Amino acid sequence: MMKVLTQSQLGGWLDGLARNLCLVAPTSSEGKLVYQKVDSSDGIAWGFQRTDMSPKAWLFPATEPIAIIAQGANTGIVDPPPPGRTVLFGVRPCDARGALAIDALFLGRNPTDGQYAAHREATNLVGLTCPQMWDTCFCTVVGGAPNGADGLDILLTQVDDLYAVQVVSEKGAALAADMRGDEQPVALPEPALTRGLPTLRSSEEWKGHFEDVFWQSVGDRCLGCRVCTFVCPACRCFDVRDEVVSRRPGLQAIERLRAWDACTISAYRRIAGGHNPRPTQLARLRNRFYCKFSYYPDDFGPLGCVGCGRCIDACPVGIDILEVITAVEQMSLQA
Amino acid sequence: MTTMERQIRSAAQQLLANGQVSCVIGYERSPRGNVRPAFVYQAGDVDRLVWDCDCNLDLVTYVHNFKTPPRRGVPVPKVAIVVRPCDARAINLLIYEQQIKRENVQVIGVTCTGTEVRGQQRLACSLCHERVPVVYDVLIESDVEPDLPVAQEEYADIGEMENWTPAQRLEYWTHEFDRCIRCYACRQACPGCYCFECVAEQVDPHWTSIALELPEKHFFHVMRAFHLAGRCVACDACEAACPMDIPLSKLNRKLAKEVEALFGYRTGDDPRTAPPLATFSPDERLRM
Repeated sequence: MMKVLTQSQLGGWLDGLARNLCLVAPTSSEGKLVYQKVDSSDGIAWGFQRTDMSPKAWLFPATEPIAIIAQGANTGIVDPPPPGRTVLFGVRPCDARGALAIDALFLGRNPTDGQYAAHREATNLVGLTCPQMWDTCFCTVVGGAPNGADGLDILLTQVDDLYAVQVVSEKGAALAADMRGDEQPVALPEPALTRGLPTLRSSEEWKGHFEDVFWQSVGDRCLGCRVCTFVCPACRCFDVRDEVVSRRPGLQAIERLRAWDACTISAYRRIAGGHNPRPTQLARLRNRFYCKFSYYPDDFGPLGCVGCGRCIDACPVGIDILEVITAVEQMSLQA
Repeated sequence: MTTMERQIRSAAQQLLANGQVSCVIGYERSPRGNVRPAFVYQAGDVDRLVWDCDCNLDLVTYVHNFKTPPRRGVPVPKVAIVVRPCDARAINLLIYEQQIKRENVQVIGVTCTGTEVRGQQRLACSLCHERVPVVYDVLIESDVEPDLPVAQEEYADIGEMENWTPAQRLEYWTHEFDRCIRCYACRQACPGCYCFECVAEQVDPHWTSIALELPEKHFFHVMRAFHLAGRCVACDACEAACPMDIPLSKLNRKLAKEVEALFGYRTGDDPRTAPPLATFSPDERLRM
């Protein structure tokens, strides 16, 4: 037995959420799908496949002050305002695993990142099962599944024109309490999986191929922009800078800003005096892949890739992470 | 293989086999079937090279990776680049700006009939009158008779924008820039954007915030457009690279039109004439 919602019951539940808290869902802007706050379920881009941007920004904002030094009588460091209660709706299982990957950095060891923890605490993730793996998807290569519930609070699965509700966490149970809908026996459909995908090799095997000539072929093409890391649900690098201009009207302050950054651009690693320990685009791009499949799992546990395939679609010069995984597999087989 | 591909491969094969260049930068087809840049170092590998209407990047941007010696004591590497007429203008621009030397670059010029994005001919291509590159060492002849757009005003696509009020323009561009994620793909894809340290990233002085928010996006795009005024070759690689489909060519073409009207200058006609905003002469007069 499982709770089952009709489209209008789901819409009604979401409308209720939108009235009481911040509801974030896939929306379309000139055809580009991004997660944005919606006022009601009408604003949701229903029928979406994979969004162009992941919902990462709602847990790890692209820009946020991590400390504010207010000017005036009470000069001193104040914490940024706490985030309001948020429900992220329409999260794909890969993106939920992306949040788990980021958790490992910010929450996995002491001291934890208070700001990230606050976002995580204030936010519930309501997932939507993928009926299939799309063109560039490869979640199954990196341990995920189109119907995986890891990292979600609630997972909804569309069964014909109904939605079956799986409550995954306690936070999810509290949220699902307001759902109308009937309990009925449901056979959840098996998502269609893409066959013939490569097998991801171990961190140790990756390390053995660091100097392979293959990296030249991808490094040559890389333009050195940040798009792959910005669309990635698991990339979590940031820059921090103290800035004088306040973004909040009426408040004169210095803000210590944290904003997304990317290991793929030359400025990322450049240090005082102009030295760059990763002096070539090859070294910078290779770092992105080694971070995902070797350094990050070694240091923090989870892989740094969840197989969403966004970077494959977004890269203007056709750098394909699945092709890289395949190449490393081939090198390992030939070794 | 089309006849154009045969010509490109044959030219690349000769250049590599003779040792005239160490690398040919062209296009190849990825295992997924998409066209993407290719770097060919061996004469035996030239069969990777392809040419079709999806070849919509400006490969001249990669010449910046070849303009200094890879290590001390060796010469600047010589490369060959497959270029469309718009891209070829970037070669002249970069020669003028002393970024490259003509003798270090072999230009494989393609007779262009326009490129496409998602199966649609690009607007800029449909208005472009140029079929043969302004500079080339080898000319790749087209399979088909190139037909020119008939009685089309070259900047027809931006005429509408010119009729808008400043408030309408602001509203339009705010809406478009709002989607920007400040990934810099446009800048990196641009052959004319090659500053070692971009204004958008400079630390001292700190011109703009690291924030990925609307004011910074606005600043970045307007700044970039002004830095490209009279330097943009209208290759539209920025728009092709943009993951968020921001109509950047509209911005660049508007400025190109202004520069052409005021100074009678088109970027890259030859490698000797200074872009108007990169020079000053006491007796210069605007054509107003």
